[in-house]
Amino acid sequence: MKHCRGSIYNKFPFSRTVLNAPDHLHPAAGFDSEQIHSDQPSYTVLHHGYVNVCLYVSICCLQRLDVLAEMSVKAFELVPAVERDLLMGDKARINIECIECCGKHLYVGTNDCFIHHFLLDEVTSPKGKPSYSSQKLLHKYLGLKKPVAELRAASALERLIVLCDGIVFLVDMVTLETVPSAAGGGAKIRGVTAFCVNENPVSGDPFCVEMGVLSWKRRTVQIYMVYEDRVQLVKEVTTPEQPCAVSLDGYFLCLALATQYMILNYNTGASQDLFPYNSEERRPIVKRIDREEFLLAAPGGLGMFANAEGVSQRAPVNWSESVIGATVCFPYVVALDESFITIHSMLDQQLKQTLSFRDGHILEVFEGKVILASTKAVYVLVPLPLERQIQDLLASHRVEEALVLTEGAQRNIPKDKFQILHKRILQQAGFIQFGQLQFLEAKEHFRKGQLDVRELISLYPLLMPASSSFTRCHPPLHEFADLNHLAQGDQEKVLRCKKFLISYLGEVRSTEVANGCREDVDTALLKLYAEQDHDSLLDLLASENACLLTDSVPWLEKYHKYFALGLLYHYNGQDSAALQLWIRVADGDLEDHTRSDLYEYVVDFLCSCSNLDLVWKYADWALRKDPTIGVHIFTKRPGSKDQSDLNPDDVVTYLGKHSRALLLYLEHVVLERRTQKERFHTHLAVLYLERVLSLLSESSKNEQQLTRARERLQALLRESNLYRVQFILGKMENNDHLLLERATLHGKLEEHDKALHILVHELRDFPSAEAFVIWASSCQDSAYRQRLFHLLLGVYLDRTLTGKSAAGVSSGDLEMAAVDLLNRHGEVFDAVRVLRMLPEGWSLQLLRPFLGRAVRASMHACRTSQIALGLAHSENLQLLHDRLKERKKPILVSEKKGCHLCHNTFSEPDVVCLPGGVPVHTHCVAQRVRDPPTKRPLTNSSNHT
Amino acid sequence: MPESSKMKKPDVKVVLLGDMNVGKTSLLHRYTEKKFKDTISTVGGAFFLKQWGPYNISIWDTAGREQFHGLGSMYCRGAAAVILTYDVTNWQSLAELEERFLSLTDTANLDCIYAVVGNKADLTDPKAQRPQETDVVSEDRTECEEDQTEPQVTSACPTPPASPASLSGLMLHQQVTHEDAVAFYGRILRYKGLDENNSLPAEKMCFETSAKTGYNVNTLFETLFDLVLPSILRKRNENQESPTVDLEECRGATGKRSRSACC
Repeated sequence: MKHCRGSIYNKFPFSRTVLNAPDHLHPAAGFDSEQIHSDQPSYTVLHHGYVNVCLYVSICCLQRLDVLAEMSVKAFELVPAVERDLLMGDKARINIECIECCGKHLYVGTNDCFIHHFLLDEVTSPKGKPSYSSQKLLHKYLGLKKPVAELRAASALERLIVLCDGIVFLVDMVTLETVPSAAGGGAKIRGVTAFCVNENPVSGDPFCVEMGVLSWKRRTVQIYMVYEDRVQLVKEVTTPEQPCAVSLDGYFLCLALATQYMILNYNTGASQDLFPYNSEERRPIVKRIDREEFLLAAPGGLGMFANAEGVSQRAPVNWSESVIGATVCFPYVVALDESFITIHSMLDQQLKQTLSFRDGHILEVFEGKVILASTKAVYVLVPLPLERQIQDLLASHRVEEALVLTEGAQRNIPKDKFQILHKRILQQAGFIQFGQLQFLEAKEHFRKGQLDVRELISLYPLLMPASSSFTRCHPPLHEFADLNHLAQGDQEKVLRCKKFLISYLGEVRSTEVANGCREDVDTALLKLYAEQDHDSLLDLLASENACLLTDSVPWLEKYHKYFALGLLYHYNGQDSAALQLWIRVADGDLEDHTRSDLYEYVVDFLCSCSNLDLVWKYADWALRKDPTIGVHIFTKRPGSKDQSDLNPDDVVTYLGKHSRALLLYLEHVVLERRTQKERFHTHLAVLYLERVLSLLSESSKNEQQLTRARERLQALLRESNLYRVQFILGKMENNDHLLLERATLHGKLEEHDKALHILVHELRDFPSAEAFVIWASSCQDSAYRQRLFHLLLGVYLDRTLTGKSAAGVSSGDLEMAAVDLLNRHGEVFDAVRVLRMLPEGWSLQLLRPFLGRAVRASMHACRTSQIALGLAHSENLQLLHDRLKERKKPILVSEKKGCHLCHNTFSEPDVVCLPGGVPVHTHCVAQRVRDPPTKRPLTNSSNHT
Repeated sequence: MPESSKMKKPDVKVVLLGDMNVGKTSLLHRYTEKKFKDTISTVGGAFFLKQWGPYNISIWDTAGREQFHGLGSMYCRGAAAVILTYDVTNWQSLAELEERFLSLTDTANLDCIYAVVGNKADLTDPKAQRPQETDVVSEDRTECEEDQTEPQVTSACPTPPASPASLSGLMLHQQVTHEDAVAFYGRILRYKGLDENNSLPAEKMCFETSAKTGYNVNTLFETLFDLVLPSILRKRNENQESPTVDLEECRGATGKRSRSACC
């Protein structure tokens, strides 16, 4: 009885005290210590006292999971506690009337007015099956010849409260002797039909027990305090009808009346009707299940929940019409009828288990232990460990139910342990759904369960890098050896699983899920991409990744993903290896159709490659393959200020043997980058010239090519001022085909007469001559321009040469050109000089446009100068007027007067008078004349000048 | 129904009341699962927890059968909104609301709001027949199921049972008009002793829905949730003032206060 005495120190004597697990249930022989996985705790619901026991039980259960896999869900197991022969032997008329259990002590009241006292020990068989052994300690006849209707233990007082023959009295828990009434008051209550003990009393006194009592033919409920040797009435409340069942929590009485249930606060008298119920038809059930919450039998075979406010916070469960007893063993509602025990989940209201049970009579829960009695024997309904129940559900693929059960048990498990359990169940659930190819659900559960993604990867053969230290979690999260085992050879399934993994890894690789195993994730993803010929392979490799080189190289080679492999090499800083590989692919030594433009890619790569050694090494290959594109390596390099970047001189030297590329490069340097180096300009001009000359020397002339080549040459000669003119000129001195070019070069040398001579007399290209004049004078002043135009006119009109020039072109052509020139550019010429030069015989009509323009220009000049003259004259008059005005009065200059321009005083008598008679320093005026007057503020008096 | 198991404390309660076979369970199903599926006659009652913004709303689906009628007032206790449901093809179902169910709402909150909902509108209203925009999930499968369930439903009604053939072809005569529902809503207010001018207008609180097509279902629940928000806030304030010290609540409340103070 020691542990009962010990519970006196408990605040509420009747709250079911937690007991230590029996010593002999501690781990002992029979368990291999390796079988006990400390990271795999298991829990019991409400059975805190037996956590230890159940832990070991559950471990055994886990070992046998595969055996149980086919079985349906079992939440409880029915275990015999007290067999018939221990109680009444073969006496047929003796029945069990009531039971009470307190710790290991089981009390049974019978219809022949006996109380039997047993010691109930839980023993675990080697197989882990729970069982009970009972030892009879005592039995006692109460002497009333009536059935013992009710028994309740008050362990703190070491008393049993007994209801027999309508009398409530106390007996000693050990001796079962009736306690005599104390001097101060009685220890008996008469006329009682039913009573209940308040397990959540408001009074804090641990040495008394509060109880609610229903009496014969009285519409009242009485509240008594029970002490060691007396009972004391503390409160009496009336009810609207005769009550027939009662339960008590705090101040709240939950009552079954004749026609309804109600909640009654015995302290305030406030009442709350719950719902109608005919207690004549069916025995009402009122069971306190939790703080201020009751379970009631409702019409239609319902188990209704009601709290002290009269509100139902849980959905009802649907049990049978003929329920005799019901109770809650979280998260289950256990109900008993004549032939079955039914077990419903409070979480989803579903029927979870049905156990056949004949002659069921009593169903009670003591300290979380569900005890049942038939009329002849006592049983314990042992809940299976939660983990076991969950595993059973998972084993039968009832994922939703397993999760509901897990989450529902949250409040019964310490938070950290719950989280571990919950995660594991979520992961297992995910794998079950994965096995059923329900990928969406599986993913969600993996996510919520924070699955180590390698668990999933390791299902797929060969995906994990060889270097990975990962080992699967033990016990395993799933039953699959690998993907082939899962798919049973169905290749379509395998493919779907792979596609799922691709999308899953793609999603998690950048999240914290992949922390710590990025190499494994990225390598697996790379392998999948390569194998599935997935487009994202390149994206993966081109962006930040953690793919392992050693593992990926053979894989990519196997799937001929050489381009991708090159990217991987590049990502790992092995550009040389990447280039070698790509060049082999581009040359057709290796086959990989990822990029048809691999050659261009390599060129681009070299173009942006910062390692110049590599550039020099592989540029040759690129140039040999296609100089036009290969030269991009040099021409398209991103402009960098870096000193170490390619030196154009080196490039030009390097390109010496690739003439085509050299030309393109020089064009790039000269025409696009506009380098101001004479070398390149001259070099380019020479190359252009050589091209033209070689085209000219060909026997079959391609006119189009020639024209284009010459246009380029001419453009360069015209626009560049840097090349060595004499050198170029020397190269074409005696070439009759390149007259225009020679003219341009002469123009560059300011030898305009030579140039014009070539154009007019040798080439006879008057528009070009005119264009030349315009070009040559384009950046010069008008006098220079006039000079050139006159020069051209002179060449046109030079009769001495006209006669000598080659036949076929009449002098009339030259005259016409002269006329056109005059008429088109009349404004440039000095008309008087022109008229003097012109031959007498020309008609006025011919020169009409020129003359008209010349006359108009001269008129314009004349009138403009007249206006200027007039204005100057008037200014002069004005000044004279001012001067006269100022002369009339003296202009005073003293050392105290300041100069209007510099505001310093005068020190000498020499001053200058501004218009208006303002004296200023001579040097100030001189400075003002030098500088524009807008720079300095003007004095008022000088404004009108 | 994993949501219902999370054991979150609901902030507010909404109750569906109505005669059997009017489609209370189907309405709730349609709203929560976006499906119309075979339901069996509800036993006792069931509830569903809906997360609405920061609040948890429990929606109670009650049993329409006479047998469970006694439980109704318990379900309604403390309700912030009651959805009185009838079947638009069954005039009796509206009459039952007034005769049997209205009195159950006596236990609801004083500021409880009432919605009158005519379900099965797809049988009378062409615009309720098309699947609803938000409920695209109403696949063909639900269409097939309808043939099995609907005859059972109608045969259980006091109205003459329509043959399955007539359902697809002919339009059933609408036995309950919208005006009937509006008039009933007026009588609810009178029964509650509420002034019509200070209460929510009938136009806003009378709905016609179809759980089968999803017509108006989301509108119904979401309108109600928005309307009960003040009730939630009031209840939260009351809780804060109560002498019971709820550690969790307090933490939330002080957190809120300090936040508003620093702003």
